Amino acid sequence: MNLTRIGAFAIAASVAGVTTASAEFKAESPQCIAPSNPGGGWDFICRTTAKYLFDLGVIEDSMQVTNMSGGGGGVAFAHVTQERNEDNNLIVAASMSTSARIAQGIYEGAEQDDVHFLATFGAEYGAIAVNADSKYQTLNEMMDDILADPKSVGIAGGSSVGSFDHIKPMLLAREAGLADVTQMKYVSYSGGGEAMTGLLSGSVEALSGDFSEMLGFLESGDIRILAIMGPERLKNFPDIPTAKEQGYDVIGANWRGLYMPAGASDEAKAFWSNAIQTMVADPGFQGTLEAAAMAPFNNFGDDMYNFVAGSIEDVTKLSKEIGIIE
Amino acid sequence: METLSLLAGGFALAFTAQNLMLALIGCFIGTIVGALPGLGPSNGVAILIPIAFSLGLGPIPSLILLCSVYYGALYGSRISAILLNIPGDDAAMMTCLDGHPMAQKGMPGQALTLSAIASFVGAFIATWGLVFLAPQLVKIALLFGPAEYFVLYVMAFATLGGIMSNNQGKALFAVAVGLAIAMVGSDSQTGSQRFTFGQIYLFDGVSFLVAVVGLFALSEVFYFLEKHHSGTRGDAKQMKIGKLMPKWSTIKSCIPTMGRTTVIGFICGVLPGSGATLGSFLSYSLEKATVDRDGKSFGTGDPRGVVAPEVGNNAAAGGSLVPMLSLGIPGSGTTAILLALLLQLNITPGPLLFSKNPDIVWSLIASLFIANVMLLVMNVPLVGIFTRVLLVPTRIMMPIVAMISVVGVYSLSGSTVDVMTMVGFGLLGWLFRKLDVPIVPIILGILLGNEMEVNLRRAMTISDGEWSILVGSPLAIILWAIAITGFLLPVILGRRVKKRMAAELNETNAASDT
Amino acid sequence: MSDRIFGGVGLALAIFYIWAASTIKLTFMVDLVGPRTFPYIIGAGLALTSVYMMIRPDDEPDWPSAGGVMEILAATVVMLLYGRFLPEVGFIVSTALATAYLTWRLGTLPQWSVVVGASTSVGIYIVFHLILGLSLAKGPLGF
Repeated sequence: MNLTRIGAFAIAASVAGVTTASAEFKAESPQCIAPSNPGGGWDFICRTTAKYLFDLGVIEDSMQVTNMSGGGGGVAFAHVTQERNEDNNLIVAASMSTSARIAQGIYEGAEQDDVHFLATFGAEYGAIAVNADSKYQTLNEMMDDILADPKSVGIAGGSSVGSFDHIKPMLLAREAGLADVTQMKYVSYSGGGEAMTGLLSGSVEALSGDFSEMLGFLESGDIRILAIMGPERLKNFPDIPTAKEQGYDVIGANWRGLYMPAGASDEAKAFWSNAIQTMVADPGFQGTLEAAAMAPFNNFGDDMYNFVAGSIEDVTKLSKEIGIIE
Repeated sequence: METLSLLAGGFALAFTAQNLMLALIGCFIGTIVGALPGLGPSNGVAILIPIAFSLGLGPIPSLILLCSVYYGALYGSRISAILLNIPGDDAAMMTCLDGHPMAQKGMPGQALTLSAIASFVGAFIATWGLVFLAPQLVKIALLFGPAEYFVLYVMAFATLGGIMSNNQGKALFAVAVGLAIAMVGSDSQTGSQRFTFGQIYLFDGVSFLVAVVGLFALSEVFYFLEKHHSGTRGDAKQMKIGKLMPKWSTIKSCIPTMGRTTVIGFICGVLPGSGATLGSFLSYSLEKATVDRDGKSFGTGDPRGVVAPEVGNNAAAGGSLVPMLSLGIPGSGTTAILLALLLQLNITPGPLLFSKNPDIVWSLIASLFIANVMLLVMNVPLVGIFTRVLLVPTRIMMPIVAMISVVGVYSLSGSTVDVMTMVGFGLLGWLFRKLDVPIVPIILGILLGNEMEVNLRRAMTISDGEWSILVGSPLAIILWAIAITGFLLPVILGRRVKKRMAAELNETNAASDT
Repeated sequence: MSDRIFGGVGLALAIFYIWAASTIKLTFMVDLVGPRTFPYIIGAGLALTSVYMMIRPDDEPDWPSAGGVMEILAATVVMLLYGRFLPEVGFIVSTALATAYLTWRLGTLPQWSVVVGASTSVGIYIVFHLILGLSLAKGPLGF
């Protein structure tokens, strides 16, 4: 036991020695893993980051974006912690779902410290949508039906059971006074795009997702958004009511950010943190965020660590209250 | 008419010397990538995306290059299927069934030319379908809820038994093996690990490329090794190349087949999640059920058996662009990568794409037409060169192709475990061939298993556990009817054919006795 | 007989599969059907078709002689070693050796097998690595 510990210590020391020797870190063929199929929120993070870091000259090689879907991001998380733990050139898209799943223990045995959370750079609010020809005009009408029979309204979401897309309608229903919110009917699709077809084809009555994923279909008139789960109405879409003003005091904010392997060198961690701060300072990037209906939301360094820790704590508390974890 | 002028606008944007040159390069690279087992269209497109970016190409030239690669790979995958009995990608599996026997009958050139024409017809009509029907077709895609998807997959597996083997039990066994392998990995609905036994390698599931290369390419090598050992030299039989152009009467006899399978393939393409493999598969099996009821000529080098899957496969490729462009949902691996490319170019596919970015959409469609014509023009004369491959003795060609396949998969994943898994699949494939257990159903099971399960689970969630949802719509009932007919027909007909054959045998015996 | 043995092995595998399915961890909250049901159905299908093969076997396949089996096993071992040592020996050397072995065993003269092996390996390296930019195993010599 002692021997192995000394051995591990020696290896750690030698690794540290190597890393301090390489003074200036430069990204070489960097990669961003989007733990989902193309088209979702995580994919957006990687592609936007890859584009701006390269355009701004922060990285010299173009950044490769790899889609690694599965297990609601768990496949990518396990891949990073178990196979790429010392990769200095790897960043991974993260969001509220990442911390929510760590909190609920969906990534088997995962903890916050298994990876290094780099930064958040934006947040957007969840929304509940129905088909344009749906009988529900307001969130209250839908909630009344759910209160009468929780199984009467099928709600599609782009990720697995118990995910944040699932939690959001549960929180609304709890606020409406439903005793056992786990009785609600949630239909899990692989990705926001597929969930949208579920709604459009009439398989389900409602869709729980992020506002940006619904934008195109809202503009084309295919869907109606019953409520946005933000503190106040969006600047660009003043017609969409918030859940709060309809009497359900629930905020569903989904942050967007990145993590990287915990075993990366300190230089690399500092490099990527600076890189994202450079990106956030760029007006073009802020324009892209706004076009995607996202608000700026920045956390770096220790702030980021504390923010994620807080987020995990919140979800744990919430999940216990709702009764989906013990 | 407005559509046509928009299309003309697209052509105007696409027709520049640089773009045509890119299309030519793309078609060529695509054909090569497609012909190499282990690298399929999705890999071809994925490999070229960084190249397109580093060349600094704009959106339209990039799309032209990548669409040419996409269509080129679909053309190319049939070459190794016909010449070597090793499909260039999963969608070309069905082309092996009649393409290779046709080549062995001394008509490799004709099989290649015919399949090139078939590919052209399928892709050409499908692209017109994309031009005129995209908005209406989205409605077809939306007719399919989870229950209907589930029944569609049941139908695919039910019609499989009759065409794959003399022994339906073995075909179903192979389906079960494929589905069993598909279950390995993280469960997409709950995130639980299934059959991974704590091995991180298995968390993503077993890649179907690994299975394709192992079951087809490596098992072919093992098969040859065994034969060689028992005395027949690998190069004992030199294949005849024969005529390159099929007779006009042959082509004419395939025209009805082309018509039917274009529709089947196209619809399969439009449904997200099924794609080219299901398209080529259903085209083949339904065509066999239509024109070859006795089950005598399909599988022995029937030209219609070559045409059907190639038309279906290429029509499905065109069809799969419909949900990708108009809903932003990729229907296959390749369209997923094309979608990623569009996003990278700051174009968000979705219901508004046709009105927001008409120049992109129409030049994309124009580039599909250009690639398609270019491929036909390029492929027919190239048949002569491709068939020269057969002049290289099998004892040299076989290991080269097998190694290229293995390296192809390795180069994408970088995992040596993949290499060893392929060897395992190779042995399994050899054993299955010996025991007359068909291999195609295994691949189909791996490819479709997860979608099948997930849709069943969604359907059951929606219905609160009522199994009746599976027969809850007219569409579902029609699909069930096809599935049941497709399953039972070969059983009944098979018995009749066997009886008739036995009767004929008795007659000839009786005749020889006298 | 072969089919009966094969069916027996299939049945054993099916039972193992169903057992493994019953050990799938159920998380705190699952959908209605859950992650175990479909594997159970597949396991049952595997078992049924295996039993079918045991009851109604086909004609005996044409099994290779002991030499043929050895040939296949040897090739399997070579390919497994190839996978195992690829990253350590490097792409070009190991691929050349593996290809040469297979070419030789398929009936090519040894000296020609070496030529085919080497040129295949270099050819793949040029196309995959130098032209398409895919990464192949590096090894101590850098290729």
